[in-house]
Amino acid sequence: METNLSFLSIDVGTIIFTLCNLLILFFVFKKFLFGRVHKILDERKNDVAERFQKADDAMEHAKKLETEYTDLMEGAKEKSAEMMREATQNAQKRSEQILAEARADAQQRKAQAEEEIEREKKRAQNELKGEISELAVMVAQKVVEKEINVNDHDRFINDFIENVGDLK
Amino acid sequence: MKVPEFLQGASSEVDIKGPGVFLQFDVFGVTIRITETIILSAVIVIGLTLLVLFLTHDMKKNPEKKRQVIAEWAVEVVDNLIANTMGKGYEKMSPYIAALFCSSIFGSLISLTGLRPVTADYSTVLTWALMSFVMIERAKIKADGVGGYLKSFINPLNIISEASTPVSMSFRHFGNIAGGIIITTLIYVALTGLSNLICDVAIFTIGIPAVLSLYFDLFTGFMQAFIFINLTMIYIASAKSE
Repeated sequence: METNLSFLSIDVGTIIFTLCNLLILFFVFKKFLFGRVHKILDERKNDVAERFQKADDAMEHAKKLETEYTDLMEGAKEKSAEMMREATQNAQKRSEQILAEARADAQQRKAQAEEEIEREKKRAQNELKGEISELAVMVAQKVVEKEINVNDHDRFINDFIENVGDLK
Repeated sequence: MKVPEFLQGASSEVDIKGPGVFLQFDVFGVTIRITETIILSAVIVIGLTLLVLFLTHDMKKNPEKKRQVIAEWAVEVVDNLIANTMGKGYEKMSPYIAALFCSSIFGSLISLTGLRPVTADYSTVLTWALMSFVMIERAKIKADGVGGYLKSFINPLNIISEASTPVSMSFRHFGNIAGGIIITTLIYVALTGLSNLICDVAIFTIGIPAVLSLYFDLFTGFMQAFIFINLTMIYIASAKSE
């Protein structure tokens, strides 16, 4: 049954069917094409905005850290300079102290040595005194050719040596 | 239509028919005809639906597949067209304009396969024009209010100018496509007749109709679809500014 409508015709069935087709296509496009794509585009837009926000935040954070570190470094520099100054001062003080100590020590040692010398001198003098008196007694014995009471003569000789010592 | 005598090799009469009727039955006294147009437009709608479902299937925030890029491109083209033609605030029109454009252009381009274009059936383009007309009037009522809208018909000429919108839109579209069919058929018959003057093989019908089809099918089909959606957009956008 192959017939044709006339070339310029209005068929109500075709109109209703075409209207349904147009509405179906409209809903398909709305739901599956525009709806889906717009959703994805919005998601992407939000994602990009979020990323930019994150980058800005990171930048700000980095700047803050930088100033913090710069401040810290400056403080450290100052502190190290102060420490150096203090150390120098301490060293100077210490050296002065050591010097003073050494000087005092030397003084003490000198005094001690002098004392020792004095003592030695005295001892030597006493020894000498003894020897001389013995020598004198020996000489006298030789001279008188006889025994001399040692005790008596010792006294005489000592007197003599005393006098000699005073003269010296 | 009579064919001139000197060309009467192929046929003496050219009969350009309307859409074919495949089935016809009566339901409660109403005659329902399943025509070429109905079948082809159903094929187009199903095809476009499957295409859309394929393009937008499994979309990712970072597009991995080419089809997602194509879908996004198509959406952006339509959105930009509406933003440029109508201005802002008409984003919801996008699916309707896209549906209209796709129906029209595929309805015309289906003639490239040798089938009868859907848009050469006046019922089809009349439906689209009436649909656009309803939307235009709705935009006018929204902009002016029911009172203001009715007041504009105090001048009876306005009724004619309003009614002429869908008529002119539908006849422009129908006339261009149907005219293309008529001219192509006439030229084909003429070329067959000319070939028969020289030899038995229809030698002129090779190549020349293909070049003409480039204009009548491709160019006209695209132009009419574009004009149709542009008129719809302009009428709806101007409803507000009037």
